Amino acid sequence: MAGPQDSSKPKLAAGCRWGGTEAARVVLFPEGAIRMQGTGQRVLELCDGERTFAEVVAQLQQEYSSADATVIRADASRFLEQLQEKRIVDF
Amino acid sequence: MLSNPLALIAEITHRCPLHCVYCSNPLELASAKSELSTHDWLRVFAEAATLGVLHVHLTGGEPLARTDLTDLTAAAHGAGLYTNLITSGIGLSRERLERLVDAGLDHIQLSFQDSGEMHANWIAGTKSHAHKVEVASWIKEHRIAFTANLVVHRQNLDHLEEMICFLEGLQPDRIEIAHTQYYGWALKNRAALMPIRPQVHNAVRIVSSAAARLKGKIRIDSVIADYYARFPKACMGGWGRQLMLIDPAGRALPCHAAGVIPGLSFDNVRERSLEWIWRESDAFQKFRGESWMPEPCRSCDRRTEDFGGCRCQAFLLTADATTTDPACSLAPAHPVIDKALREVPIETASGSPTEWVYRANPK
Ligand code: SF4
Ligand code: SF4
Repeated sequence: MAGPQDSSKPKLAAGCRWGGTEAARVVLFPEGAIRMQGTGQRVLELCDGERTFAEVVAQLQQEYSSADATVIRADASRFLEQLQEKRIVDF
Repeated sequence: MLSNPLALIAEITHRCPLHCVYCSNPLELASAKSELSTHDWLRVFAEAATLGVLHVHLTGGEPLARTDLTDLTAAAHGAGLYTNLITSGIGLSRERLERLVDAGLDHIQLSFQDSGEMHANWIAGTKSHAHKVEVASWIKEHRIAFTANLVVHRQNLDHLEEMICFLEGLQPDRIEIAHTQYYGWALKNRAALMPIRPQVHNAVRIVSSAAARLKGKIRIDSVIADYYARFPKACMGGWGRQLMLIDPAGRALPCHAAGVIPGLSFDNVRERSLEWIWRESDAFQKFRGESWMPEPCRSCDRRTEDFGGCRCQAFLLTADATTTDPACSLAPAHPVIDKALREVPIETASGSPTEWVYRANPK
């Protein structure tokens, strides 16, 4: 299994959703909750099932313009892959 | 500092149409008459959310036996809780499921006893398998999380691969393969249910190869056969540490078997707030943290991972709830486990008529 393709449209999997408070956002899934913050939170917010992975990456590269573009892509890909293995994200 | 509970296990009824031989619920069950009202549960869910609880697990018995399940689901969802229904599927129609999903149900965990109908019904002591398969297809009509759960033991482990293929066909997001735990009804049937060592070893291999094969599609979780393990399970994630269970009659317990431990008194949500119970109740404080721990746990590095194992199992097997879980290979009482395993007959005799007692359930 690998990370998302450029054309895939990642989104939260069925039965996984945002929760918590504005100050402490979590993603809720059947076995628990993951505290989301910083870039991770941003990646997941962008994964709305409409944007393609390429668009998500382009948006992140724009927002975090001081960071290395290839690192941003690799990190986002690995992050989504891990969440997919936990069945929290689909793509 | 004491952290807040993360999940509330709401045992809304002990009534159940099934009679599973491996049932982990206690021998003594609450009667329908003693059950909390809808109103009580609504208050409990609201209090739980305020206390910082994130998940509510609606379970039983069979939660569908309560006619107000949709209202309870809506209330839990309305309080902001992630709502999980743990069910046998008996009592569910396509319409009722639709109402539950509309009420905000996030996740459904459907239990199976086996892959083949005859064998499954034999284990459940009820004709239920065909209906469960139908329920699974209805679940797939909705965008909710779906876990297929299978309890394994001596009588079905020989065809674990077949059972996993069967569950895969139902297209769940998750499959949970749980070895039978022996602290409720199942303890009565231990001789018939305890697997032999090769079955346990094969199961590990089969489960891990299925997990690799299904990676990214279906997540496989497993609950270990603790009699065969070196270390015990981290029962309930540690006593009074993450979970709070409310039984049908409103008693708050740190774990669903805790009622077997003599000398513990359980406060009732009819009289006390959840917050008070979490902080002050004797039962929750009894084995919380490390001060109760005996050796070898007290000086063992694993004590922050498994918390000394299961208190109820310690009591049931040694008559002392404060001792190291005998399932631990370092426990002074570990010989009771070795003895139980020595008594397991070698021939597996899967599917042959067996001496066991079906779960008796309250009305
Ligand atoms: S009899 Fe079966 S379905 Fe009913 S509570 Fe026990 S294990 Fe669950
Ligand atoms: S001695 Fe206690 S803490 Fe150490 S592994 Fe065994 S049960 Fe866990």
